[in-house]
Amino acid sequence: MPQKSAERERCATGVEGLDTILYGGIPRSNTILLTGSCGTGKTSLALEFLIHGAMKDENSLFVSVTENSEKLLANIIPYRFFDKSLVKSGMLVFLDLPVMYERLGMTKSELGTEEVDLLVAAISDLAEELGTKRLVIDSITSVCYKLKTSEKIRDFILKLGKALSDLNCTSILVGEVPASSNAYSAFGVEEAISDGIILMANMERRGDLLRTLQVIKMRGTMHSRAKYVLDLTPMGVLLVPLLKGGSTA
Amino acid sequence: MNPEQASAQGIAQELSEMPPASATSLQLSVDDYLEVIRGVLDLYANKKEMDTIYVTATISSEAIRRVLDALDIDTSRIYFVDCISHIMMGATSAQLDEHTTLVESPTMLENLMLKVEYLIKRSESKDKLVVIDSINSLAIHNSNWILSEFLHILVSGLRSMEASTIIFSVEEHSTPEINNLVNLVCDHVLRTSNKEGKDEVH
Repeated sequence: MPQKSAERERCATGVEGLDTILYGGIPRSNTILLTGSCGTGKTSLALEFLIHGAMKDENSLFVSVTENSEKLLANIIPYRFFDKSLVKSGMLVFLDLPVMYERLGMTKSELGTEEVDLLVAAISDLAEELGTKRLVIDSITSVCYKLKTSEKIRDFILKLGKALSDLNCTSILVGEVPASSNAYSAFGVEEAISDGIILMANMERRGDLLRTLQVIKMRGTMHSRAKYVLDLTPMGVLLVPLLKGGSTA
Repeated sequence: MNPEQASAQGIAQELSEMPPASATSLQLSVDDYLEVIRGVLDLYANKKEMDTIYVTATISSEAIRRVLDALDIDTSRIYFVDCISHIMMGATSAQLDEHTTLVESPTMLENLMLKVEYLIKRSESKDKLVVIDSINSLAIHNSNWILSEFLHILVSGLRSMEASTIIFSVEEHSTPEINNLVNLVCDHVLRTSNKEGKDEVH
């Protein structure tokens, strides 16, 4: 069995199966792209990552882009370990990005180059102010639609990743891809500049639809590249290996 | 006492001597089926007070529960993973309680493992038992290749979680191939009464 690399501190996701796949967790301060089509469990997994962080006294920030955070919380899986006091105490903070756009006067459908810098500064300043050690943006794809060009998307993700890394903050950027797509991101840029890619998908096998997870890349650690089947349960995300005897791929 | 009851009692005696986290293949005759279910569940869930996760791919959890209720067996420690009701279109809202978890189809073996793992993690009982009823029913829907892989991962995982496993196989419906793949992952093989009598293999 490969030895766990000792040189990078780990940010344990708290999802037992995923931490096993990653030999202990995401390398601390990495920026990860968690990507997949709708209904694959991306938001649930990202949220669980933050809840486990907050439970370990790591300030956690969820930046919601598409869904109002109140609605998000109402639809959350009734995790047995989720304590609402984490939100009340400010260990787990929810931010609606459209509110931030409005405060920054970013009302146009496309952001300019200067506004990219402004947005990066606003998010990283908030993360610094809150002492954020775990951050999720759900979804980065929705932000990218406001950036439009590959250059601005690259600029935004690189600068944001750098700013958060300097804060020793481990980040998950949630990406959305169409179910029919073989790509890891909508714009083809996000995956190239992220430190890691976790792909979630729906896999059809003999008429059964299975939710799957696969770590495609993760800088700073060895990891399994096998496909796993997952279930979203009140005890959190559970993973088991995909049985090869039935694989269609 | 009829022969089936005597046989079940003998099996119960042998099962009660199994070490923790062991995997046992229980080969039974169709005639002994209900008596063996009764005996196993009564021994583990009631007498040993172990949370028992009963994976059924043969008959619905509702039917098993009715039998247990009729026999006055306490079912409060029994949690069903029902792989058959959904494909029979027989799942009712009444079944969706804390004691019953549905798997859409017996072909979704990964989901079966995930439901078992969920129930084990949720359980507060120190000792746990997982019963697979039965390997023959699962074999109707799955190839031996995938079943073998499934059993290996399931039983290894249960051992690491210190849960015991009992895998039912019905002699009349079994084949040497199915027996082999079960025996490969089990520490013990028990048989209910037949011409050769009971047998135990280590």
